[in-house]
This record gives sequence, structure tokens and C-alpha cells, in this order.
Amino acid sequence: MLESLVSLESMSLSSMDVSVLERLKWLQQQQQQVLSTTNASPELLQFHGTNNDELLQNTFSHFQMLGSGFGPNYSMGFGPSHEAMDGCISRTNSCQMDQADTVGVMLKNSEENITISLKNKRKSEVKTREEEKTEKKIKVEAETELNMKVKSNLSNTEASSETSKQKSKAASENQKLDYIHVRARRGQATDRHSLAERARREKISKKMKYLQDLVPGCNKVTGRAGMLDEIINYVQSLQRQVEFLSMKLAVLNPELELAMEDLSVKQFQAYFTNLPVVVASKPSLMVDAPLFPLDQQGSLDLSVINPNQATTIEAPSASWETQSQSLYNTSSLGFQY
Amino acid sequence: MERQIINKKKRVFSVEPNKIPPSEVFTRKYTRLLVPALKKLNMNKNSSQANQLTVKHEVDMALALSAQEFAWSRFLLQKLSSSNNPTTTTSSSSNGIRIQKRSGKEGGDEDGEIEEKMRELQKLLPGGEEMNVEEMLGEIGNYIKCLELQTIALKSIVEDTT
Repeated sequence: MLESLVSLESMSLSSMDVSVLERLKWLQQQQQQVLSTTNASPELLQFHGTNNDELLQNTFSHFQMLGSGFGPNYSMGFGPSHEAMDGCISRTNSCQMDQADTVGVMLKNSEENITISLKNKRKSEVKTREEEKTEKKIKVEAETELNMKVKSNLSNTEASSETSKQKSKAASENQKLDYIHVRARRGQATDRHSLAERARREKISKKMKYLQDLVPGCNKVTGRAGMLDEIINYVQSLQRQVEFLSMKLAVLNPELELAMEDLSVKQFQAYFTNLPVVVASKPSLMVDAPLFPLDQQGSLDLSVINPNQATTIEAPSASWETQSQSLYNTSSLGFQY
Repeated sequence: MERQIINKKKRVFSVEPNKIPPSEVFTRKYTRLLVPALKKLNMNKNSSQANQLTVKHEVDMALALSAQEFAWSRFLLQKLSSSNNPTTTTSSSSNGIRIQKRSGKEGGDEDGEIEEKMRELQKLLPGGEEMNVEEMLGEIGNYIKCLELQTIALKSIVEDTT
């Protein structure tokens, strides 16, 4: 496990020096020792808490020695996520959370940190790795926040001791439950399979929401089945339209040579009308620019008008001028077949 | 003068390619591919059926080539290149299937229904059957977008020639 941790670190923490890696290894060992000697009972959790405090203290001091490399992150980490963490944890405090919730809270925050600073996004074997990542994040960058929180919380109120306990519980949970990387909600099952299921379902529902925005008329229908129906209908109607248009084109093809020059103009007119309502775009297409007498030879060169503004195009020559100044690559789009 | 302008047009390069919205990129690619291809087509006055098929082929080809960043375009290209007779991946077959499913699944298992619909959707998407559900949902999104843009482009082409 340490080897994998090391390899992961070497890949992802390219900016950190070796000392940090060593420290992390040391931390890992420490926490494992701690874990092996305890189980999850409240009294022992305090032991966790203090132990972790020490660990965090040590790493904090080491971290300070790191210096400029983490300067910006360092200060950045404090502000927003500090509050976020506090908010989360106070919320969880009030709710009598179970273990998984603390895990969820910790992981959520650390995940945010990850997405901000580290840029690893590998999804395969993600579970162990993400877990390790979260641990690392907690230690390296979020640790300072944790430390602050732990310190400040301890100094503040009674409830905050609970907080630190929960935090340390969470930290130890990170060690135990290596494969959780999804926020577990209150009262829901926390075993591996259901969490994976939940993650999958959330991804799918996110995508369904996106599709809902894309397909017109999906908002009125509720439920997955109805939405899927709508989407299917829409895709089919689009495909039918394409087929119909291509049939029309097949009939008209001999006359294609004429009047192809203003194609680009009309295209961009169509953009600015409502996309799905293709029928409505017709009138706007009709009102368009006059025929350009320029390209009557066979060679079509549809270089593009700057699409920023074109409700009407004044003079053909002027528009061709703007086209030549517009910045689109025509040469790269060969006619590849 | 005209020749000058045409030459100027040909010397245009893109300075900031990343800032072009992808819908424009797609549509431009699409028309640039399709229109010349259609012109090159040897249109046979007699067999309209064959004409339609070849036109459809070109249309699909242009779609696939203009959207090469997506997975479904690869599948579409495969289908097009492998089959000499590139029938529609699209409407006729799926129409029938949809009607059947509609009638057959009334009081059934809800999850089963959703599964059925997902499978149908997969059939609509080129290469959809080889993807898993999540991936397919994502790909369907951009497939829809590209289809919309394609219809716009085709409409404008058709209108230009009428």
C-alpha cells in the first residue's frame, strides 16, 4: 500500500519535494499504528483525536518549513474551505451524524480541494487512489485548515471537542473505508455496493438533467421514463428530418451549383434563431442577403463571416472583405474522404 | 477584383481557434464537406432511389467527419465504410420498434420500462449498443446537438438551391 501511495504521489505531486513524500509515508504509518491499536469507541476516539492532533501539529510544522511552494495554496486554503468545513461540521454536529456522514463531509471537502489543486482525474482504480488522495489532501493542504480548526475548536467550546472527535473519527474512517468516495447521506446505507450504486445513479441523473435542458419539452414531463420517451421521440424526429432533407437534396442536386455563395450567411442567420425550432428559422432565412455574384465558378469557398453581428449584410463586397479578415482556418478542413 | 477577393478569402487563417463556438465549427465543417461532395456526385437521372441513397451516404459521411471528437462519429464512420449500401441508421426501423414497445409495456415493471427505453435510445445512437448507459447518455447529448446543426445546414442548402 505504501508503494502504491508512493507511486501515486510521485505521479501527482510533481511539484512537491521528496521530504513531503517521506512525511506522508510517516503519517500513514502513524495513522495505521493508531488504527491498529484502537476501535471505534468514544473514549478511544479522544485518543484518536489527540494523536491526530499531534500528527497534524507535526505535519503543520513541517509544512511551514516547506515554504514558498505552497504559498498561495496555503493562504487560499484557509479562507473559504475553512468556513465550508465549519459549516459542514456544525451542521453535522447538530444532526447526530453517524460515521458515514462524517466521512462524507471530510471527503466532500477534500474532494473540492483536490479538484482545485490536483488535476488527476483517473477513474479506473479510482477508489483506492481517491481515498489515498483524500488522505493526502487532508494531510498536505487541508491539514493546515484541519489543524486550525482542531485548535480553534478545541479552544472554543464543548461542542467543538465533539467536532474534533468527529473529525478524527473521520480521519480514521478514511483509513478504514478505503473505497468510499461519494458523499453518503444521512440514514442511507454505507456499504460499498450501495455507495457505488448511488454514485452511478447520481451520474446518470446528472446526465439526464443535461439532456432535459437539451431536448425541448422535457421539462413538462416528470420521471425518467417520460423523459426518455421525449428524448427518443426527439432524436427520431431529428433523424427523420435529416432524411427528408437529404431526399429533397437528392432531387435538387443538379441545381446545387447556383446560389451557393450565400450559404454561410444564411447559416449564421439560423444560428441566431431558436435552434430546435427549425421551422421558425425559415422566414429569417428568406429575408437574407442578396445573391453574391462572385462565386459563380465551381469552386466554392465558404469562408465565414464574423458571426458576431449579422442581422443583415449590406453589400456583398463589404461582407466578403470582412470574411477575409475573419479568422477561420479554411485550409485545414480538407475534403477528407 | 473578384479574383482578388477570392484569393483573399483563401488566405484566411484562424488566430484563436479555441474561441470559436463548437456549433459553428461543426456547421462550417459540415457544409464544407457536404456541398462539394454533392457536387462531385454523379447524379443519375434515372434511378432516384440510388440517388437518394448516395446522397444519404454523403450526408451521413459529412456528419461523421464533422464531429470526429465524439465517439458516435467513429461508429458512424465504420458503418458507412463497411456497408456498401449505407441504409439509414435512423428512422424506418426504429419507428416500428417504438410502436411495438409502446403497446407491449403498459402495466409492466417500471425499471424494466426504463431499461427498454434506454436500449431503444441506444439503438438510435450509432454505436450506442456498444457503450454503457452513462457513456451513452453523454453521447446522446452531443449527437442531438449535431443532428440539430445538421438539419439547419441541410435546410439552408436546400433553400439555396430552390
